Amino acid sequence: MKDSTNNRHALVISKEYPQANFTWILSVVLAGIFLWNSFPTNTKELNPFVFSLFCAYMVTAVFQLFITLKMKKDLLSTGEIHAGTRRLGYVQLASLLTGNIFAATFAFNLINKRKTPEYTFAVYMLLTQLAVIAISSVNLFKPYVSDTFLIAMASLLLITLFHLVALILSVRYVREYSAPRWMSVLAIFLMATAVTGNLFALLLGWSLFMKARRFDSSRLLKWNVMWEKITRNSTAVLGMFFILLMLAISITSRFTFDYALAVENNYGAILQTPSLEYPFGTDNFGRDVFSRIVFGARISLLVGFAATIVPGLIGGFLGAIAGYYSNRIDNWIMRLLDILYSIPGILLAIAIIAAFGANTVNLIIALSVGAIPTYARTMRANVLMVSNYDFVDSAKALGASDFSILFKQVVPNSLAPMIVKSTLTIGGAVIATSSLSYLGLGVEPHIPEWGNILKVGSTYLESNSYLAIFPGLAIILLVLSFNFLGDGLRDALDPKLD
Amino acid sequence: MKKKLLTLALLLVLVLSGCVKTKSEVETEGKGDDGKGGLNEKVQIEVLGMGSGEEDLNIVRDQLIKNGFDVKLNIQPDYGTFSSQKDAGNFDLALSSWTTVTGNPDYAVRALFKSDGANSLFKDSIVDELIDQASRETADEYTKTYKQLEQQLVTEKAFIAPLYNSYKAQGVNKKVLNPDSVRLAKSRAIPWETIDFKDAAQRTTEPLVTQQAIGDLTSLDPIKGNDGSINTLNTNMYVRLVNLTDEDEVVSDGSLSYNYAMAEGNSDYYFLLRDDINFASVSNEKATDTGERVGAEDVVFSLERAKDKDSVPDHRTYSLHERIKSAEIVTDLSELKNAKQSGSEETILESLENGIDTKLSKIVDSKTEADNSKGNYQVVKVTTTEPFPQVLNYLAHQSAGIVSEKQVKSINTYDVASFNIDKDIPYGDQRTVTEGATYNNHLYASGPYILVKKNDYQADFVKNPGYRTGSDFEPKISNITVRFIDDSDSALSALRNGEIHLFNGVPETKYDLVEKDDNLLLQKSDSNAVTYLQFNTAGRKVSESENLRKAVLFSINQDEFLNYYQGNKKKAYSTVSPLVDTGNELVADSDKVKEFMDAYHKE
Repeated sequence: MKDSTNNRHALVISKEYPQANFTWILSVVLAGIFLWNSFPTNTKELNPFVFSLFCAYMVTAVFQLFITLKMKKDLLSTGEIHAGTRRLGYVQLASLLTGNIFAATFAFNLINKRKTPEYTFAVYMLLTQLAVIAISSVNLFKPYVSDTFLIAMASLLLITLFHLVALILSVRYVREYSAPRWMSVLAIFLMATAVTGNLFALLLGWSLFMKARRFDSSRLLKWNVMWEKITRNSTAVLGMFFILLMLAISITSRFTFDYALAVENNYGAILQTPSLEYPFGTDNFGRDVFSRIVFGARISLLVGFAATIVPGLIGGFLGAIAGYYSNRIDNWIMRLLDILYSIPGILLAIAIIAAFGANTVNLIIALSVGAIPTYARTMRANVLMVSNYDFVDSAKALGASDFSILFKQVVPNSLAPMIVKSTLTIGGAVIATSSLSYLGLGVEPHIPEWGNILKVGSTYLESNSYLAIFPGLAIILLVLSFNFLGDGLRDALDPKLD
Repeated sequence: MKKKLLTLALLLVLVLSGCVKTKSEVETEGKGDDGKGGLNEKVQIEVLGMGSGEEDLNIVRDQLIKNGFDVKLNIQPDYGTFSSQKDAGNFDLALSSWTTVTGNPDYAVRALFKSDGANSLFKDSIVDELIDQASRETADEYTKTYKQLEQQLVTEKAFIAPLYNSYKAQGVNKKVLNPDSVRLAKSRAIPWETIDFKDAAQRTTEPLVTQQAIGDLTSLDPIKGNDGSINTLNTNMYVRLVNLTDEDEVVSDGSLSYNYAMAEGNSDYYFLLRDDINFASVSNEKATDTGERVGAEDVVFSLERAKDKDSVPDHRTYSLHERIKSAEIVTDLSELKNAKQSGSEETILESLENGIDTKLSKIVDSKTEADNSKGNYQVVKVTTTEPFPQVLNYLAHQSAGIVSEKQVKSINTYDVASFNIDKDIPYGDQRTVTEGATYNNHLYASGPYILVKKNDYQADFVKNPGYRTGSDFEPKISNITVRFIDDSDSALSALRNGEIHLFNGVPETKYDLVEKDDNLLLQKSDSNAVTYLQFNTAGRKVSESENLRKAVLFSINQDEFLNYYQGNKKKAYSTVSPLVDTGNELVADSDKVKEFMDAYHKE
């Protein structure tokens, strides 16, 4: 009796089991979507390509269900997952070929019993790299590719190989708090590959570097605990994966995609439905929507990040000063910011754009100004709390100046909520950018930006709905990813939830 | 293992590079060189337009960029901001369009291209001369002159760069309306009186719901406006001496006259007036027959004020009528008997009597004495300053609508020179028909319908009870509602869900949606609307250099516009293209662009 309660408990605390359930359900849902789309409403004929995708996803889902049931049995009977069940993960890795990222991440998770943050980083680093290559190689179906395509693809492939090696090595040699010294060289190379936008490589590299150089163990513990908390939350990691994938794509698309296909009109290919050559179809000017969405990620991310960092810095600075210094300064700053806060952000942005003209810099300024007060409030609240801590008193007793106490002691310890808040608001900034472009107030209409693409799509919603669906999905996924990541970060950084 | 993978990857790259073409390979295969700007710096062209013309602007931008220009777009949200940018001169090229609502070529060029025209873009003495010469000529003669004019305008000087000529398309709800009763004319606005429901029993019970984009009405005084906000409304509120058919011929059908005749010399025009139209007014939101007949006195009054620049403040249409020398009531029957019709042996009298029941026995001075059944008629004679046959087209325009002399004089009591819009309320001011404190409907309608009231969303019209009662031209439907729907996509949705019955202006890219809909019928016809790019004529590089203008001109590829609009546009060479077949065609030529750019850089 006691045993079975224990095993039930094992089922509940198992990290893999909920993910297994999540994976098969999602695979079934995706398979359903493919089934629905394999019978186009107008032709009534079976689309063989989409139908085979449905079959592949269904097979994955059934196999996943099998694994899940087996895991449940294992956990209930012995309290842990058997090695044989774990080996099934290698079979499930094949789902990567169909692009089922959920099944693939689960498989990676299942295979390795002992999960260091390095393992997770390495897996996602590899997945990101593979996804970038997969997305870029769609260009092979185009009549021509950009001049730098082959070189870029070759280097991407080499980097992927290197990442695969790094994955294998880190599985073999990395322990919880240490790694062989020679790994610091590997780490430096890994960090160098992060220039492709694959920041998982940077994380892995830094993590390996810290362990190989035998950093202070309390620091390592903190690092491990934080990332364990984040990686335990599979939606947060998937969100992070999608964001970093978009980042990597927006950097590598510079070399692997042809910008002309996204901006130059091609009257011979107006309003084509999705095909291999044009995966997301073409718009009313014959521009490739897939390329447009890929290039659009650049602006969305740039404006999203910039419109978060700028008010974060300004608001953070003002909030810190308001929170730390006298009441008078506090009142002055905060009441002025209250005035700014009382103006609706999007209206303020529209007014700024209307007055100074539409371009990317103005867009960032317009979106930033309205967001300053909220950051200032968050920072002020934290500073008020942190400045009462003992270490601040000690610093005062040691005779440090107010300014250095504020920015050396108080602010760094108040950053966690700011980070969480900014991750959660980037999504809002991405939506605001797209909204302004949708209203014709953002960047120029021919420039690929998700809001612009959606605007064109909205007028063809009935006849060519794919024009609106794909940019809409891109916006939804990116915003959702930021929100998931923000939630994960909050759980990981919030001491109250410990 | 590592080595194997590496060789595999290298192999893959090699295989790929064998079957993949890069961009530069494709480009060198296609053309010899792509030395676009060459050594010279790219010239920046600022293109100004409205948000509604975003598609055209994008095509122009694309074509200019492909020909080595650097393009800056200046997109303004509405007409107001667009005009202020244009007035400030913040453009090299402005996307403009022109619709010749009178259906005659003179109107298509006079206001835009003549040095003293109302919307004049530039001054050029050769253009002026050609316009005047063509206006004196008949239809057979003027084709050559207009061809020369186009060549001077576009080929020689490149004052404008033509883009395309649009079609007119109208969606009709055929489940509600009888589609045969709905006209779609090339130039004129739609006449409402012929429109009928499928079920005649609905005529008095249901309103006809139609749509127009602009809800801010310029003026309901016909001479004070000539734009999309009032053209259809005033056309249906005021009767005219003559009308245009759907193919732009001048006729008396549906007008105040039985017949008209042009006398020898092409300067005198006679109109035989009907006696079966009364002015309507509005009281208690209902139309009442004022009992006052629409007669020759009102015609003379209306035309005199139409040609007089100072008859009202903000007179927006006098340039259309400036060649009317006088309008008078004919009182001497012998004048009609003696004068000959132009190009014929028939007398004016015979020509005017053609097809009417009771012949003229007497022509009377006062409208109260006119009684057609007894042979008492009124005749109006219009004289032009010079021979000008196209004056008839102007008389068919809504700005030549007949207003009540008595009513307009009683309302317009202000002094024109010291007119103050804040204190004085002129005849036809939209404030007097807008719901609210300022409502005080003083309109007198001579046409089939009268406006009862309006707000920001719609205007309500009722039929004129004294308009040709019992004839074919008596308005069929009692109530008409005009919805103000700005966006053409929203208007199309409104048509498709039955909210409106009639939508003039279906976008080119949406024709198939209307055609596929079982409830709807798409009517399509030619129109006189031409879209063109206007060059800035002062203070810019393009204003100084003819070569630069020509380089831009030859960058324009009209075929691409036709492609974009799925063939639902026609080529144009100037604003007269839809009216006169001159045979000119603009052919894009990147070699010429290069040539003119080289010449420009040498300047």
